[in-house]
Amino acid sequence: MTTTKRLIGLLVFFAFSSALGTEEGELAPDFTLPSIYENQPVITLGNLKGKTVYIDFWASWCAPCLRSMPLYNDLYSRYKDQGLEILAINVDNPIEDGLDFLADTPLDFLVPSDIDGEISELFGVIGMPSSYLVDADGSVRLVHMGFRDGDLETIESAIQASLAAH
Amino acid sequence: MIKLISKQHALGLLVLISAINLTACVEVRAWEKGYLAKDEMAWKTDVLEDALAKHIFFSKEASSGSSNAAGGGCGCN
Amino acid sequence: MTNRYSKSLLALSSTALTLSSLTHADAPPPQSTASIKSTNYQEDDLLSNEVLFGELSRYDIDVHQFQLITPVSRNSSFQINGSYDSLSGASPWFTTADAEGEPIVNLSGASGIYDERRELSVGGSYYFENDTLSASAGRSAENDYTATFVNVGLAHELKNKLTTISLNASVSNDDIFPTDANKFNRIERASKRSVSTALSVSHIINQFSTYQTAISVTNQKGFLSDPYKLRDIRPDTKSQYAWTNSFRLFLDEADAALHLNYRLYHDDFGIGSHTVDFAWHQNLTTSLPIDFRIVPSIRYYTQSSANFFTNIDDFSSNPLMPQSSDYRLAAFGAISGGINIIANINSWRITLGAERYQAKSKYSSYNVSKPSTALVRFSRFSLGFDFSY
Repeated sequence: MTTTKRLIGLLVFFAFSSALGTEEGELAPDFTLPSIYENQPVITLGNLKGKTVYIDFWASWCAPCLRSMPLYNDLYSRYKDQGLEILAINVDNPIEDGLDFLADTPLDFLVPSDIDGEISELFGVIGMPSSYLVDADGSVRLVHMGFRDGDLETIESAIQASLAAH
Repeated sequence: MIKLISKQHALGLLVLISAINLTACVEVRAWEKGYLAKDEMAWKTDVLEDALAKHIFFSKEASSGSSNAAGGGCGCN
Repeated sequence: MTNRYSKSLLALSSTALTLSSLTHADAPPPQSTASIKSTNYQEDDLLSNEVLFGELSRYDIDVHQFQLITPVSRNSSFQINGSYDSLSGASPWFTTADAEGEPIVNLSGASGIYDERRELSVGGSYYFENDTLSASAGRSAENDYTATFVNVGLAHELKNKLTTISLNASVSNDDIFPTDANKFNRIERASKRSVSTALSVSHIINQFSTYQTAISVTNQKGFLSDPYKLRDIRPDTKSQYAWTNSFRLFLDEADAALHLNYRLYHDDFGIGSHTVDFAWHQNLTTSLPIDFRIVPSIRYYTQSSANFFTNIDDFSSNPLMPQSSDYRLAAFGAISGGINIIANINSWRITLGAERYQAKSKYSSYNVSKPSTALVRFSRFSLGFDFSY
């Protein structure tokens, strides 16, 4: 009995210890990244303090990512006036693959490029897509991986709660 | 008598050893899987083609078995 | 807007066509995909000096396949597969010795054989965080044969997101009820059961390559002989073991993927075999909103003979002693080569394929003490369409 409990405990420990990266309740690590578009200013998370920031790591080769992008456009248009900012961090290498998609699906929010994966590493991204909802005070409210049916509702209600909190 | 290691089995072993050597490599991060995500890199790039080829070879040759358990039989073998 | 823009849409639709992805969290396919494929394959006629009497023409087979895979909810997907085959021609009936004592084959009666096969299976998958549970069931029916089968599988992705372990099991119950059983003194009805399990491990080696290794064991019990052959007696149990290895490598400079597969096989009929196949998936980028891929492939197969294989039927032997002149139990080698041309246009994929297969005793890497005179050569042509929506 106790052995079984210990084993379960161990399994639970491993299951949760997998998230070595940024976790809910922690402060989001600050970063500065170039925009994926040429001649656009660099993007610094720290400069967005006071806003709710939805950070999403995506790539053009990730089918669920591509599905989510137009939906984020819609989300952005509904909440930007209340203080929502979206950073869709593209990890495509070569960068042209990401730009190909953007030429077809223009995004209304900021698209930083993390071509070397440094910021992905900093956040401890383990799957594509991965997203982090950061409150106005810089703390992480939600960490989410994947994009399945129904996930948008989860993300939207977290955004609403974050916007209402400040 | 059965020879334990025939020339054919030695070939099989060689394939295994080289495969194991290959696996001792760097860890691939989530954002580095762009090439692996290409559909030409899938185990089965064409599911119907794969199923039919398996069926035809099953009906012409004595061997069967793959990474999946064998499905239904047919009167062809 | 340049022609570049359509390429990522291609990526979106083509990713939906690929089921076994190692690259993102396990999830139902993002889109539905319907596929159809029609194939004709024809065995070469035997030469008249190879046949004592009966038909010279062997099988001519048409196969029509259908598949639909669709996401059902955030955690599940459904799939249905169908196949219709029609077959005509003749197959080896018995073997004798000619005037020089050399084996000669006799094909089934001048009227030949006509048969149809219909197969339908349905299945579904449920996607947990790191696990995928799949199950399917189906039935295949011919004029003289039915098979009913179920399959369950569990795939588990390790936390490193680099390794996936899968376990599969299937059971098939088959019934055979030969036509003209009374006329030719064939068995009237018989059955067999096959139970198969497979364990596989897939691993991402680096950014460009993946490797999969698997072991499968199949046990069969029941009537394993060919009721249409004049004399064909096989043991009523059979165990088969296969070890398969697959390797995929993407070559960025060439914009091509290399596929290499190897299988080692052994069974307790005494047959061992090696299968090596190699395919080169070459992408061709055009300025049109169409992407092409050309896939040449080559395959080598060789097997040893069953312990009880004979190339001249012995009608005087003990009728309980295993004995068969089925060419598939002979030692032989086979070389086949093929090419597939794939076009991706928006949500459509069109595949045109051709293959040539040739089995010969001299291709065998095993010792051939009794060469079969009935080894096959065939050509295959196929046309397939996939549509994602």
